[in-house]
Parts: sequence; structure tokens; C-alpha cells
Amino acid sequence: MIKCKKLQLSHDWLYFLKKYGTFMFGIIVFIFFSIFADNFFSIANQLILLRQMSMLTVVALGFTFVMAAGGFDMSLGNAAGLINITFGAILISTNNFVLSLTGALVVGVLLGMTNGLLVAIIGLPDFIATFAVGTITVGLKMLITKGNPMTFPADVSKAALFVGQGKIGGIPFPVILMMILVVIVTFILEKTTLGRRIYAIGGNQTASQYGGINVKKYRFMTFIFSGVFLAIASVMLTSRLGSAQPLAGEDFMLDTIASVYLSTTMFGEGEPKAIGTFIGAFIICMLTNGLTMLNIEYYFQYITKGLVVILSVLTSVYLADKVK
Amino acid sequence: MVCINQSIIEVKNIGKEFNGVWVLKGIDFDLRPGEIHALVGENGAGKSTFIKILSGVYSQSSGDIFINGDQIEFNSVEHSESSGIRTVHQEINLVPYFKVYENMFVGSEVEKSVMGIKIIDSKGMKKRANEVLERLGVEINVNRTTSCINTAMKKIVEICKVLVYQPKIVIFDEPTTALGQEERENLLNVITALKEQGISIIYVSHNLEEIKEIADRVTVFRDGRKVALLEKDEITIDTIISNMLGEKNYNSYMRKNSYAEDSDVLMFKDVSTDLLKNVNFSVKKGEILGITGVVGSGKTEIAKAIFGLDKIKSGSIGVKGKDINPSPNNAIKNKLALVPEERQLQGIIPNFPVSKNVTLTYLKKWSKNGVLNSNSENKSTLDYIDKLSIKTQGPEQTIKCLSGGNQQKVILSRWLVGDFEIGVFDEPTKGIDIKAKEDIYILMDELSKQGKSIIIMSSYLPELISNCDRIIVLKEGEIVGEFNTHQENIEEKICKVMLGGHKNDKV
Repeated sequence: MIKCKKLQLSHDWLYFLKKYGTFMFGIIVFIFFSIFADNFFSIANQLILLRQMSMLTVVALGFTFVMAAGGFDMSLGNAAGLINITFGAILISTNNFVLSLTGALVVGVLLGMTNGLLVAIIGLPDFIATFAVGTITVGLKMLITKGNPMTFPADVSKAALFVGQGKIGGIPFPVILMMILVVIVTFILEKTTLGRRIYAIGGNQTASQYGGINVKKYRFMTFIFSGVFLAIASVMLTSRLGSAQPLAGEDFMLDTIASVYLSTTMFGEGEPKAIGTFIGAFIICMLTNGLTMLNIEYYFQYITKGLVVILSVLTSVYLADKVK
Repeated sequence: MVCINQSIIEVKNIGKEFNGVWVLKGIDFDLRPGEIHALVGENGAGKSTFIKILSGVYSQSSGDIFINGDQIEFNSVEHSESSGIRTVHQEINLVPYFKVYENMFVGSEVEKSVMGIKIIDSKGMKKRANEVLERLGVEINVNRTTSCINTAMKKIVEICKVLVYQPKIVIFDEPTTALGQEERENLLNVITALKEQGISIIYVSHNLEEIKEIADRVTVFRDGRKVALLEKDEITIDTIISNMLGEKNYNSYMRKNSYAEDSDVLMFKDVSTDLLKNVNFSVKKGEILGITGVVGSGKTEIAKAIFGLDKIKSGSIGVKGKDINPSPNNAIKNKLALVPEERQLQGIIPNFPVSKNVTLTYLKKWSKNGVLNSNSENKSTLDYIDKLSIKTQGPEQTIKCLSGGNQQKVILSRWLVGDFEIGVFDEPTKGIDIKAKEDIYILMDELSKQGKSIIIMSSYLPELISNCDRIIVLKEGEIVGEFNTHQENIEEKICKVMLGGHKNDKV
């Protein structure tokens, strides 16, 4: 009897693909754009790309905490606008950056506390509860602004503009801030008891509870992180735009989910890491940046982004089955 | 009369290789029509791999399979199933909010045609469900919601789920794990009934008593090889064990000393929860206390009450004379430890390496101002890998790659690093091999010698009798008996109390 041998990639190869597949994909896309899009591979464009991705990365870093603990936060995109206008309104009336920043952070914390209360403490399903909270923020921001942006006065505090527009030694400040936050989040998640417990909860919530971890407390904290990082990103965004836009930041939601999902598949471990989130956000923004340079119309960019996420999910699901 | 010369399955020289390692080699096996053929071996001996080849999960790397004399190569589970082979898995996979009969027909729903449109025929399914149950001699109301029936009944539903396909061969993987004595007997009767109806059965179990009771032949695996095929009249527990362990000398473990002192360290005072009813007992310093009862009698609920995982409705729990407000944190502060029953679900963090699983509970020990020192984590883990002889490639290996027994040792290490004083071990040896079991028994003896108190919940009586100073018997949430283990015919006495007046014919 003749046995049919199936064509099979070797196990080692699949393992490599599982561990570094998403990363390799990023490199291939990068090389592709470098070859076909003029100016893509220039320092100037790379700095623009880093600046473009900085706000997304910061939101996604906050979301990384939530997803590391096995949760989900659907309020981010809609809530960004509420923080934008809080920051803008305080800035316009007081022209005090510190006060405005504090106001934005307070709204971020309140948002996180609301999500945390509903999801971690009361125990509602995270997807629907945070989605509902996001919907409420839409109502609030429209109630306050009627949808109109608030433009900064000409004599606005320099610090308020520096956050989004400033440069240090030629490097945009948002890029520096992003890098610092990537390092901080890496440290918290990988080197502290807090991070370890968050990952444990994401790995097995019941076992964490049986092992004496205060699951409610740590899940609650992840939502606060998410809110605070959203607030930082909103301040960066508003400062960059020079006006507080109630609708700005709505794109954060899908891009954030995509970035952090890419992060969980990045090193084949099923846990999102800060550096993975950074690379995930880079891939997402690189697609926008590179496709724009290739003069691809923006609706195709959405289609491409969607396809990339599906491809990465598909490979990770396929490989999870094949490689034990 | 069935012809016993023709084997329904014949397997010749089967082997399986993963990454150059042969986990199974040169296995010959045959299954006769209408027999119960048991497979035994320590964890990692190759039983599971072998079953997975027969059920089409893996394809073999070498060797041939014949079904009714025809050579067959399974490419998929569906392929194996279409050859009449079905498996009853160790885990229960039922949809909790489906009715019993609906679960039985998941994937094989009975349909009827109404005006050309196919719709589900509930009446037909119920009728067939009842027929299957009748064949097994079991009574369940098929209209009940599945989450409301007990574990033993769920297991029966799992069996029915397989039977609706009218298989010729059924593989049972550890079917009696976590069942109490009475339910175990019932299930064995069901399996024997299947055999009498001409179904051929491959039976995998760690429980040698039940293998002796029902198996017609036994194949013993060791280190990926078949080391013995025992005929009915050769099956004794001693021969199975000596074949399983090879040259190693196996003396059935029996604890010799008692280190119980007079002072009570843990007291249950009239504790009631959803299931427990006015439970009173105490544990002494250095004592090993056994708690037994059938499934649903409240063993696990005692552990849950101590750790605040079930709400206490009335009564109180005292540790060293002080009442505590039960929660996982308070329990740990009061130096209690909990090794939960469901290792996969409640014990391990599957994606974490061994080291992170060990340090999970007392994480502060390896940190300064909240910052972890992973070198010292690895060092402590290595200590325990050594002390408990945990088989792993090292502290960095992901825990889900370890065998059940080794995972259990990791969970034990998680608590041992913290110097607990009262250990609550819920089914600590469930589904693990003999060697690991014995290691855990010796460890518990060692711990009690150090003055620690231990509560073991177990539905396997011989285990409690050989390890405990005292055994408490629960029935429907109440304590119905308490026994010192040093007395004659204790197993029989406990069984009588546990099963509540029912005569137990077997000794």
C-alpha cells in the first residue's frame, strides 16, 4: 500500500513562524515600502511615521494592561473626545497647562473607574459594559460642544503646544514621550509584582483567585491604566491639532485593538507585551503611511488594515493548532 | 455466539515519533469483539498517544492498523469515527444550559420534515434518549437542564452522546476520575452492560481495583512500549503493578507514624453554606485529616468555605482560636494553603513557566518594593524541582508541557515556599501516576512531622486510610461519621456510612 506523504513544513519552521511571524511580516512590509515608495525609507519620513504612531501607541499601551489581564475596553475611541474637550475647555479658560493636564487625567481616571467598577467589581461582561460607557461619553461630549471644536487662542501656553508639536534635538517630543512610556510599561509588566499578577489573571483567572491574588483589585487597576493612557494620548492629540476636537481620536479604537492583538501574536506566547504593542502600532501606522505614499486611496487603506489583522489572526490560530 | 478469533481491531508494530523522539514504539495490540481491554501504565507511558492514534487525532509514524482485517490509515478523527470508533473523554464537554437529551444529540440532531422544511424533532430525540438510557439501566429525566445534574450523571450523558452513533468500539479515557465509590460502581455497571451488548471497549484507567473488576485483558505500557498482555486469570493488582514499574519494587504505601498533637489549629463551628449543613470539626496540629464522601457530598465545599470562595451563611471558622473572615487573602495570612481539585482550571497558569507558577502566591518574597528578582525566583524553583523531583527541563519550561503529576508538584511547591501551617489538599493525587502519588504521600507525612496540619479531600478510600490519622465522612453536606484509621475493616465501615444504610455487597 502506498502511503501518501503530505507536503509539510517542518515543525521547527512552524515554531519560528509562530514566534516571529508577525515580526517578520512587519519587516517584509517595511522592505516593500522602502523599495516601492520613494522617500519612505528616509529619516524625515521615519520620524513622521514615529510621530504619527505615537498617540496610537500610548492608547494601545494602556489597552495592553487590560488585555494582559484578559479584559477588553471598548470605550477608548469615543471617550477620547471627552478628554480632548476637557483639556481644551480648561486650557482656553485658564491658559494653565498643568491644570488642563490634571483635568484630562482626572477624566481618564474617572473613565477607568467607571469601566473598572462595572466590569471588575460588579462583573458585567467587559465588551458590552465598556461599549455602553463609551456611548455615554459620546452623549456627554456632544451635550457640551454640540459637536463644535474649540480652537486655542493665539497666546495659548507654550507648554500646551509643546506636548504635541515640540522637538528635542530634532526628535518630536511625542516620539520621546512614547519611548519613555514603552520603557515604563515594559518595566511594570515584566519586572514588578503588579505586572506578574496582571498576566496571571489573564492566563487563568480562577487559578489566580485560588492562588490568593485579589483579582477584582488588579482588573480594576488595568482599566484605570487604560483611562490614564488614553488621557495622555488625548492631550498629545489635542496639542498636536491646536484645537480640542470632540470627534478626534475615534480611530483609536480599531487601531488599538489591532495593535494589541498583533502584540499578543508577536512572540507566540499569547500575552501582549509593551514592545509588541509598539511594533503592532508601527505596523498599523506604517501601512497608512506607506500606502499614502504610494497614492493608494484611503478607503483601500482601511481594507488593507482589515486584511492584515485577519491574516495575523488566521496565522496565529492556525499555528496554535499545529505547534504545541 | 461471537467468534473470538477475529479481532475487531488489530494493531501491528505501531510507533509514534515527535521531533525525533519515539514516544511510542513497536506496539502490538488487538481488541476482540465484546471484550473490555484495559490499558495501564504510568503517566507518560504512552497510553494517551496510543489512544489518540486509534481515534485519529495523530497518525502513526510506523506500523499498521487493521479494522475487521482491513488495513486502514486514519487521517482524521472523522475517519476513525466512520470506522465505528468513538471516545469518551476524561473531561466533560456538555453545554450546561442545554437539556440532557439535547446534549446527547449535539451534532447528530434528529430531524423531521414539516412541509418540506427540516426542523428538529424533539419528541424523537427524547424517545431515542430514553431508549439509550434504558439500555444502560440508568434513570435520568431527559428534560432536566444539564447544569443541574451531578458529575456522575454528566459522565453518563457523555457516554450516551457517543452511543447515539451506535459505535462498535468505545474508548474510555479515565471515566471514573472524581467519582465517588457508589457512582463509580454504577458507571462500571453501565460499561459492563455495553460489553454485554457486544460493544468492544478499550478502557484506560489509573484505578487498578476497577480494572481488576471489569477487564477481560490488560495491556501494560511502560516507557512507550508494550511490556505485558495479561489474560483474565492473570489480572491481579500485584502483577499489573510489577509490570508497570518494571524492576522497581513497589510496596503499597502505608504511613507509619502519627504526629498529631493535642492543640486544635482549625475549627469549623456550625458552618453552613449553600450545601454544607452545620458542619463541626477540628484539626489538630500535625494531624492528617481525611474528608470523604461521594461527589456532591460537600468535600470541596469545605475547602471553598475556608478560602471564602463559597459564602458562609451561618457559623464560623476559627484558626488557632481566632475566628477568621474567610477570603483567599485572609486564609493565606493565617497560613492556610489550598491545593484545589481542578488542577487545570483552578491550579496552574498554563502559559506561565514553572518558576512563575511556583512564586505566584507568595510573590512578595522575591521582590523588593514591588520589583521582582527573577534570578532568585529561578533559584527557589530549582530548589523545589530538586526536593520534589519534578520532571521538567528547568524553571523556564512552560507548565502546560508537564505531566499531571509534575504539575501537581509545582502547585504544592507554590505553597511549600510559603511555610504554610494548615494545608487543604483537595483530591491531591487525582489523575496522576503511582510514582508521583507516592512522592506526594511521603511529602505529606514529612509535613505533618514538621508540625503542619493537613486536610485531604478524596473520594478514593484506600488513599485516605493509608495516609490519615482520622477520616470524616460527609453525606449531602452533613458529617455522618468520624473514624480513627487504626481499626479493623475500616473501609467497609466507612462505605456503609458513606452510602447511608445501603448494603454494600463488595468488600
